[in-house]
Amino acid sequence: MRVTSVYGTTMMSWKRFKPAMYLMPALLFIGIFIVYPVGRTLFDSLWNGNLLNPHREFVLAAHFSHFIQDPGFHRILVQSCIYLCLMVVGVFLVPVVLGLFTLELSKQETGVCQTVLFVPTVIAANVAVTIWIWFFNPTGGLFNELQELAGLESLRFLKDGATVIPSVSLVAAWKQLGFHYLIVLAGLKSIPVELVDAAKVDGAGFWSTVFRIRLPLFGPTALFLFIVTLIQGMDYTFVPIDILTAGGPAGASSNLMYSIYQEGLKSFRVGVASAQSVVLIFLFGGIIFLQYRMLDRRVKYER
Amino acid sequence: MNDNILTAITARFVLMVSVIVILIPLVYLTGMSLKEPQDIFGDPVSPFSFPVVFSNFRAVIAQGGFLGYFLNSVLFAGGVTVGQLVMAVFAAYGMSFYRFRLKNLCMGLFLLSIIVPFVVTYVPNYLFLARFKLLNSLQGMVLPMLGVSLGFGVFLLYQQFQSFPLEIMDAARIDGASERQFLWKILVPSSMGQIVSVSIYLMINTWNRYIWPLLIGGGNPKSYTLNVAVAVLFNNAESGANWASLTAASVLSSLPLLILYFSMRKNVLESFLQGAVKG
Repeated sequence: MRVTSVYGTTMMSWKRFKPAMYLMPALLFIGIFIVYPVGRTLFDSLWNGNLLNPHREFVLAAHFSHFIQDPGFHRILVQSCIYLCLMVVGVFLVPVVLGLFTLELSKQETGVCQTVLFVPTVIAANVAVTIWIWFFNPTGGLFNELQELAGLESLRFLKDGATVIPSVSLVAAWKQLGFHYLIVLAGLKSIPVELVDAAKVDGAGFWSTVFRIRLPLFGPTALFLFIVTLIQGMDYTFVPIDILTAGGPAGASSNLMYSIYQEGLKSFRVGVASAQSVVLIFLFGGIIFLQYRMLDRRVKYER
Repeated sequence: MNDNILTAITARFVLMVSVIVILIPLVYLTGMSLKEPQDIFGDPVSPFSFPVVFSNFRAVIAQGGFLGYFLNSVLFAGGVTVGQLVMAVFAAYGMSFYRFRLKNLCMGLFLLSIIVPFVVTYVPNYLFLARFKLLNSLQGMVLPMLGVSLGFGVFLLYQQFQSFPLEIMDAARIDGASERQFLWKILVPSSMGQIVSVSIYLMINTWNRYIWPLLIGGGNPKSYTLNVAVAVLFNNAESGANWASLTAASVLSSLPLLILYFSMRKNVLESFLQGAVKG
């Protein structure tokens, strides 16, 4: 906490600059490249506009009322939910389980795991995902060859509407797993060792220390990571979708973010893209609002 | 006791499996880049075929342009990192050492810069650049990215500056230091650890960006970054399945960051942890 008087006298002698001067450059760039685009998107969502056509008409909420009945848009929302559920498994549950097991390892072994699992994070998403195309290749690709060797019926992975979302999610999880594992380990390591040791002395096994001590104390980190997964989940799958399927077959692997990208930057239907963006912004806003509510409640309980 | 051994074995088994699963794609990627082109489909299951050849790398480098793409990546990532860092230092300084109305509004704007999904801002920003004829230029690539997620750096440095002891600031003032001297000669050097952390995080994230550099620079080979070059090669090779040069190009383009990562592993992990947890 800063003391007001010190603050005051300090500032007296240095009056040449005002805080606005310091904040100006940052606020200017955020204003032009974040606030203006968001405002523009809100505005455009009320119009039926197309980048290729200068004429546009004011439609008020027609895009949104269309979304309510449009089966195509419902499908995108459902697929977004499936992606999010799979990402919760892939980059939330799996890293937590791996993190818990890592606590049983020696320091060197932990270092090796952390180093290796993090490698995909420092490789560009589009580059890292490329190799998976070849894995999934229906003729002569690795998975296809392995299926033949094992005498299994061949799955068509990216070409089949039923398997495409799990396949893309697998790739996205592979890419992001190590980053979340890093966060999990940091959270688990901040739990005081004495507590766990005391329990072990009292005869607690691995699972009872996990469920009675580690997971409850890990709660805040877990909540944080869960929120990150929900907010970033669609982002994590974005580049894999673009490289592996471009939303196909027949839109079966698209999600809300990818749909906005396609509508806006591929089909140039700015009005529809903006309206979908507004839906996305409200979803994110809702998640963040819920997070604050939950954090608030926890603080009250603790007191 | 038995129970403990069982847990120890299970833990090692599970982690070994996950380490292998993470590595497999990378091993195949490297292995394919070292294969003769005809062996890639001839023998798809084994990751390597011996003897290894470097002809794919030679072919990719002979195509030319790689040095240019590398420089573009450096300028793009470096420009965004330096630009954001300087703005963040100023903004964080203004927020930590002054009190003013609308501070909360500023905080909100910085938070907004982090949480707005990129698909929302790309169309308006693209049109903005088109109006000023900045498409297919490095300036066009860098400028909008200076605003995106700028709040990260600001918040991380703000926290750091908040913990700076006011006594030292007063001592500097009494000794006749100007505000500028205090900021650049005392505050910034003493926060170097955090500044390095923020730079690594920004550098890696920007270097790995794909959609934006492709959108802005994809029209002209002179403005390709390494990632865009790989993506273009990928799009052109899709029909011919030219996996040999594609994998070689992928390995080449990933090397700079992999070298950075393995030479300063601790700093990189630390900076991502900071970026995630505090940002």
